[in-house]
Amino acid sequence: MNAIAIVLVIGLVLFTVGLSIFSRRFTRTTADFYLAGRKVGSFSNASAISGDYLSAASFLGVAAAVYASGLDGVWYAAGFAGGFMVVVLFIASALRRFGEYTVADFAFGRFGSDRIRLVTVLGVLLTSMFYMAPQMYGAGTTWSILVGRGFLGMSAYNTGVVVVAAVMMFYVAMGGMKGTTLNQIFQFWWLNFAAILLVVFIFGGGFSYPDALEAASSDTLVNSKTVTVADLVADDGAMLAKAEGAMSAEGFAEVEAAVVAGVETAKVNVVLPQVNKLHELRDLVFVEPGHRYNVLDQFSMVLALVLGTAGLPHILNRYYTNPSGSAARRSTFWVLVLIGMFYIMAPIIGLAGRELIANAVADGSAPTAAAYVDGLLVTASQIMPMMGQIIGGQWLLGIVSAGAFAAMFSTIGGLLIACSSAVGHDVYEKYINPNATEKQRVFFAKSAVIVFALIALGIGLGIPASGLNTAYPAIIAMMVTWAFAFGAGAFVPMLLTGIWWKGTTEKGAIAGMIVGGGGSLFIILLNILKTLGVLTAGGVLGFLGDLTYPTVFTFPAALLTIIIISKMDGQLPKNVDHIWMRIHGTAHERYEREHGLDKVGGMFGGVPGGAKK
Amino acid sequence: MAANAEVTAGVAGAETYIQHGTHIDTIESVDMVFRAQRKLSFTYGAIFFGVTLAIPALSVVWEGWYATPIWGGFTANYLFVSLLYYIFLWTMAWTYSKKADRLDEDLMHMAEEIESKFKREHAAELTEED
Repeated sequence: MNAIAIVLVIGLVLFTVGLSIFSRRFTRTTADFYLAGRKVGSFSNASAISGDYLSAASFLGVAAAVYASGLDGVWYAAGFAGGFMVVVLFIASALRRFGEYTVADFAFGRFGSDRIRLVTVLGVLLTSMFYMAPQMYGAGTTWSILVGRGFLGMSAYNTGVVVVAAVMMFYVAMGGMKGTTLNQIFQFWWLNFAAILLVVFIFGGGFSYPDALEAASSDTLVNSKTVTVADLVADDGAMLAKAEGAMSAEGFAEVEAAVVAGVETAKVNVVLPQVNKLHELRDLVFVEPGHRYNVLDQFSMVLALVLGTAGLPHILNRYYTNPSGSAARRSTFWVLVLIGMFYIMAPIIGLAGRELIANAVADGSAPTAAAYVDGLLVTASQIMPMMGQIIGGQWLLGIVSAGAFAAMFSTIGGLLIACSSAVGHDVYEKYINPNATEKQRVFFAKSAVIVFALIALGIGLGIPASGLNTAYPAIIAMMVTWAFAFGAGAFVPMLLTGIWWKGTTEKGAIAGMIVGGGGSLFIILLNILKTLGVLTAGGVLGFLGDLTYPTVFTFPAALLTIIIISKMDGQLPKNVDHIWMRIHGTAHERYEREHGLDKVGGMFGGVPGGAKK
Repeated sequence: MAANAEVTAGVAGAETYIQHGTHIDTIESVDMVFRAQRKLSFTYGAIFFGVTLAIPALSVVWEGWYATPIWGGFTANYLFVSLLYYIFLWTMAWTYSKKADRLDEDLMHMAEEIESKFKREHAAELTEED
């Protein structure tokens, strides 16, 4: 047990819960619960958006992806950051100007039908669940490293998932958006602090970025893989021969011993040379592209990452909390600065891990909580806490683990608010009980938080059973990118055309969401089935199953569908001019400016000048 | 002080308008705002996507970009994706925000002029509706 580290994490949890209890007294209305009263300043909002955005995928996943894949892993960082340019250029101010609570509200307000609101709600829930899954997996794996044991008869992994779900359930239901916003601000700075400490320790130990890259790229990239003895001896022992070429004599001796024992189902950790999917005739080295993506996927991945951010409901919801369109843009600039700092650091940690972890294994100082093969981590997603412990002992392990939990808490908080507002605000208040009192609405919103936290719990417990965690390298970053791909297909074409093309009709928008969202789901499913070995078909299905990201097809397909169906349909909402004026007009902002309502107020008080809302 | 303006929408003469408190948007003013914003956003969008998609394109076709070390182990590709891309994003976001703020100011003044003209031309109808 890592006592110091555990105390630090418990401290974080208690502080988080304390902030929620403090915020509770300020959550009286649904506007408070969902939007923090629309009074969040640019820098605070930027910190909160950054906390919301930097999830387990970023904190644990980016360094892991770089550790496993080199340059193709670095793209996660660059793409996650680049996504905010699409938000600031095309979405942020228009969404704030439109002035509703949720993405589904926008769809309803823009296209004027209940049908599109419900389709959007479904999309919001699917995206959020896609995003929730890796957070819960991250919770289980971090707990396994930190505590190393389970309670009440559960495994360490399951205990981690249950604890995080329970804490989230409590603090989001208690504090609503105000509590979640305060927590996200604190959590962002904590996780950034953890990353800064890691990088300072790394450079303090004599790390040179260009030299480390040169050393990591001096030979073919190798990675660990867990396989069965049957896999190793299949095809006349082709994999065994590759492992022998890539592993040290000592490491390979253990593999050979397992093969000699002859238990075909026995699992063995091996190190294998990686192949170049982009330039098939070249050796794959750390600094070159091609570990994860072939030609099509190189573009599809970039599109999924930069477009997907604009399709994440929990991020878009935050834009409604800005007091003005200009503040929304300023927030986005600061988000880019804050997350950019983090995303510059994460690849450094991933690269440094290649050398430092191998050295620690060689001199016997590597933590025993993780498994290694030939100096490589068997589970790349463990790199952040492992690096913490190797370079800074229990204190740094504790700070980094608390950072990992902070990343999960802040994102899960945003996702639970997004899910809660989707069913609470968009369904309950509109269709189930339109005459609900404010108290009933807040009660329903809080109940929805508990229900979705329980669903997240189920998903988290189910991931290891599905085998996904061993099928993909750096599964945490991978799963989050599926959420991006789904959002990029389902929401972004609808939002872009809804904001920038007056001729978009409700039928066109729905058709686009179905084609983009449904197509993304279908291709992601094919890829999962192919990776798990369930789908072996060739032809079109096999081709689509090879695509890691569907966006290169689904985004243009959805956009074209919207344009074609809208042209064929031609039925614009009767009040389309008024809708257009709400999205692009300035009268509302002129009014707000005249009355000082575009100024930032304290989240826990009135607006400046003594005016009370 | 009212936190939210009473919003009214209507048609004066042949023109559709929307009113927040005493401030009015007409289709003419909104179309002007829309066109100016579209030009700014799509110009920046074209630069952003041009640069962003050029990175994988160069990774496919130009060995000097993805395989030639230029500083220690850094290739131009690795250096751009891991460091320089963020400077590009920060510069884009900063200059866009500044330009968009200036545009907002200009457009609000122009919208106010259109609003004054509209109020003068439809004074009688607006008074009747009030």
